[in-house]
Amino acid sequence: MILVELRKMFRRPRTWATIAVLNALPILVAVLLVLTDLAPRPGEGPPFLSAVLSNGTLYPLAALAIVLPLFLPIAVAVIAGDSIAGEAQAGTLRYLLTRPAGRTRLLVAKLVAVMLFVVVAVLVVAVVGYVVGTTMFHAQPIGGTVIGGTGGTSFSGTSLTPQDITNRTLMGIGYVAVSMLGVAAFGLFFSTLTESPLGATMGVLAVLVSSSLLFTLDAASPIAPYLPTRYWLSFVDFFRDPIQWRDITRGLSLQAVYVGVLLTAAWANFTTKDVTS
Amino acid sequence: MRWSVVGVLVVLLASLPALIGALPVSDAAVSAHDLRAAVLASRTVAFSGYAESAGGLALPVTDQLTSVADLFSDRTTMRVWWRGPTDNRVDVVTATGETGTHTGTGGSWTWEYERATATRVAATPLALPAPPDLLPTALGRRLLSEATDAELTRIGARRVAGRDALGLRLTPAEKASSVRRVDVWVDRASGLPLQVQVLGTEGSRTALDTRFLDLDLATPSARTTAFSPPPGAAVRVGKEAEVVLEAGRRIEPVPLPATLVGLPRRHLDGVPAAIGLYGRGVTLLTVAPLPERLSDGLYDSLVQSPAAIVDDTSVRVAAGPVGLMLVEPPDEDPYILTGTVTLDALAAAAARLPGLGSAR
Repeated sequence: MILVELRKMFRRPRTWATIAVLNALPILVAVLLVLTDLAPRPGEGPPFLSAVLSNGTLYPLAALAIVLPLFLPIAVAVIAGDSIAGEAQAGTLRYLLTRPAGRTRLLVAKLVAVMLFVVVAVLVVAVVGYVVGTTMFHAQPIGGTVIGGTGGTSFSGTSLTPQDITNRTLMGIGYVAVSMLGVAAFGLFFSTLTESPLGATMGVLAVLVSSSLLFTLDAASPIAPYLPTRYWLSFVDFFRDPIQWRDITRGLSLQAVYVGVLLTAAWANFTTKDVTS
Repeated sequence: MRWSVVGVLVVLLASLPALIGALPVSDAAVSAHDLRAAVLASRTVAFSGYAESAGGLALPVTDQLTSVADLFSDRTTMRVWWRGPTDNRVDVVTATGETGTHTGTGGSWTWEYERATATRVAATPLALPAPPDLLPTALGRRLLSEATDAELTRIGARRVAGRDALGLRLTPAEKASSVRRVDVWVDRASGLPLQVQVLGTEGSRTALDTRFLDLDLATPSARTTAFSPPPGAAVRVGKEAEVVLEAGRRIEPVPLPATLVGLPRRHLDGVPAAIGLYGRGVTLLTVAPLPERLSDGLYDSLVQSPAAIVDDTSVRVAAGPVGLMLVEPPDEDPYILTGTVTLDALAAAAARLPGLGSAR
């Protein structure tokens, strides 16, 4: 059943159109940077964008930082929100459940498909970012010596070798993917509550917008550590020296809690609800 | 049944922080005197940690020194590695970069990622306030350094950064003080201040709260605190403190009273002669003649404050426990008065300045 769901998802033009749209903005930004040679100053604009002119291998991280606040969560929310509610709206959910596999297995199959979409979407953005970065900007070969200039400098002012940058970039990509699993879990849960994929997607976005808004308020600081978007940008902590693991581990733990609770709630709701369409 | 599983899971997870916070904290029979002594002796204790300060002081300033104003009004997140007073590193961490101060023998390096700039600053007797001054360890030692036993009381214990912290309350004896109290929470094992809270006499809001969120008493490596400018970085020499002190030295001294609002005048190394410094501990008052060209901009900035009290010759405003007053006598140069005293005390002090009052 998992293979069926995977095949269904990745054969849909909509899935690949979503991923293509995700990559459009980072490509546009790269083109503008090359044409104007005007990168933002360090500390301004999305993280890492200031350094890509001198080191294009950092562009995967810059690309993820560009899409992370809005486009990537929207893409994940659209796909996750459609997983169950889309079948219900199309009138196919009832027929899917006539198979002897059962609701739990169907939910697991949908879950695996959504999770895989998250991983593929993040990887494609990173790979496209790498290709764009290494072809359009000056790039340092992996395994070389310490990079000159600020492009190979950590936030803390220490020099990083290309091998350091590669390792830390891979960890950053993994961290972003885990952060998006929480969004996927919200989408899957909301998708079991409604027959409208748009409603499920809007529910996820409402949660994320509220979380981002509350994070900016000092009055909300007591609940800030529990907001789902609180630690999203902590992937930049891989580029401090020493690496600041505090927020990274908290971010991973928080996503694990959200994923665990929401998937349990999705399972409880989906396996007990009346399916009429 | 299935929803019960969800309910139990949510309740368990939601109550976890409260359960951890409710873990019993063991107090110790340490006197306030001994606890203060332990704090003052903790300068050489090595540690590393993660701290956060939250300031509620909206200081009215002109275009100069905005970084100092931000320091006391914003939330500042810091990582610190402390091997000793002359070998330490404090990074102010932001979402897109960081500013690190590496202190060594003879001075410090400040690395600003946002500007790709390394700044060398020589050690001076006086320096402008900087983020490392807001660490609970530095601030706690500074605020307790001149406290008397009569001003100190013990206030139980609490858990800070996962460690048992003994409470020490400083209540200033001076009537003019605008600080109601300072609570310092001290690590039982090392004497390091883990949290410092400053409350003003007006309102119930904490004026300044700085605390460790994580603390490790292992000695950090020398490699972590060392610094050399990275390739391609701009390197400059910082002279901001020197410029401010030089401006102070150019001020023509005037005969200031020996005592103001019950606070005796004191002298500190490096303070220009024209600047009058009064008080002790957490109750301090500074008086200085101000060049006419500087007073106009400051006046404009002060009167914009909604809480400003304006009369014929002066304007005064309070930012938490910090009071600031600009006096413009008819036939004299202006004066600026600032410190941790009440606005009434500022007005009383101003009335005794040359050109304004009868007494000298």
